[in-house]
Amino acid sequence: MIRVEHRGEGGAVAVITIDRAEKRNALTPDMARNLAESAARLRESGARAAVLAGAGAMFCSGFDLAVCKADAMATGDLLRSLTATAKALRGLPIPVIAAAQGGAIAGGCAIVAACDIVVTNREAAIGYPVLRIGVSPAVSSPRFAMAVGFGRCRERMLDPALITGEEALRIGFAHECLPTAAEVMPCALAIADSLAAKPRHALATTKLWLNELDGSDDDATLGAALHASLALTNSAEERERLESLRL
Amino acid sequence: MLATLTIDNHLATLTLNRPEARNALSPEMLGDMHAAVEELAAVAETGAARAAVLVGAGKAFCAGMDLRAVIDDPAAPPKLLASLAEFTLKLRALPVPTVAKVVGGAIGGGCGLACVCDFAITHPEAKLGYPEVDLGVCPAVVAPWLIKKIGAGPARRVLLEGGTMPGDRAAAIGLVTRCVPMADLDAAVKELTDRLLAAGPHAVRATKRWLNTLDGSDDAAAVRRGAMISAEVVGSPETRAALKARFAKGL
Repeated sequence: MIRVEHRGEGGAVAVITIDRAEKRNALTPDMARNLAESAARLRESGARAAVLAGAGAMFCSGFDLAVCKADAMATGDLLRSLTATAKALRGLPIPVIAAAQGGAIAGGCAIVAACDIVVTNREAAIGYPVLRIGVSPAVSSPRFAMAVGFGRCRERMLDPALITGEEALRIGFAHECLPTAAEVMPCALAIADSLAAKPRHALATTKLWLNELDGSDDDATLGAALHASLALTNSAEERERLESLRL
Repeated sequence: MLATLTIDNHLATLTLNRPEARNALSPEMLGDMHAAVEELAAVAETGAARAAVLVGAGKAFCAGMDLRAVIDDPAAPPKLLASLAEFTLKLRALPVPTVAKVVGGAIGGGCGLACVCDFAITHPEAKLGYPEVDLGVCPAVVAPWLIKKIGAGPARRVLLEGGTMPGDRAAAIGLVTRCVPMADLDAAVKELTDRLLAAGPHAVRATKRWLNTLDGSDDAAAVRRGAMISAEVVGSPETRAALKARFAKGL
């Protein structure tokens, strides 16, 4: 359900694909753990750029709520793996491009927020609607705020509405917004190919310096954000709202 | 002089004056720029200057670091980068608003200078950006300033992707304040500086000082560390070899 492929000369571009199209790439705890491990393993792969992709019509619709509903431990596991994935992607000394066609919702949006360059399409659905089910998107707030600033972060974390790809481009969350979903992956791959051809040491140093400057390495804040979300798991409100979901 | 300062009716103009090299930042030119910005700071303290414009003589605002001038001496790039870092800190610390008038191009460290100014105005044909990674160099000195200017998310793409962008794109991402037709550039700069000069001088100074405090512009350590990181990359064998090969080909 998580596929890793290498393309181009010497496997210069790694592509990690969340591959569960029939469920809009909803993440189970196993998939999320596998995703975190796959991201971390890229460090030794020789890849010079990476693309994070989702099979089918939508990049990732977030956690598999059917699993969360059935298993009281699942949400917490997913939140921890999500944090590990984001940390692994951001810590890679190579640029990571998100091919977020169709949508990146909740946990899906959190993964995208950890990528360096975000490509999406106009109609894509992006955001954190999880307050509706009694889950807090706090886990993703530091990285989302790094991308768009605290003002916009506040709006998007507190309002469970989704925004379009076009709006994501306007607020600085997305870097490219294509007319159609079909154009997203080719664009992401073209950016990755171009970056993979650039001097490796300069790119790595630049990325790691940006990480240091913008708070990406601030484990205390990232840990606190995870705990803010974890604190609500299995709350009466969350259980009640998950139970009432008709999935 | 490779950098000059003039004051006219409370408006200071700091001119990069090495047009034959598209105002590329050489050690000598940065030395003159330091003298000019220190003089400007002193004049601004007296109230005799209330706004400043940074311009480049000739066809280009600034082509960036003159690495060609220093690549043969391993000790020179760290000094040049440290000098640029200190200049950006002095430029930002000026107690008056600053406007970069970007004609032709603002590349690498040159785009860094435009980015440190409070405002920048350019024209659609101008080329701006940070192609450092394309040359195997790291834009570490300008990174803290660009993050403050356009936010960390957009800065990540600009710096990792390298290359340059036209003036209208620079305006769209917030790297410059405005992009106007070349024929209207002088008028657009004057329109802005007239407003800056007409505003209450104490209020303007207090506001600029507060914004510098608020956004971490006083954090000299990050910019100085950027110079060290950048120097480390320039000094690496593969980057030195690549740059020498490039210069030998006359690029």
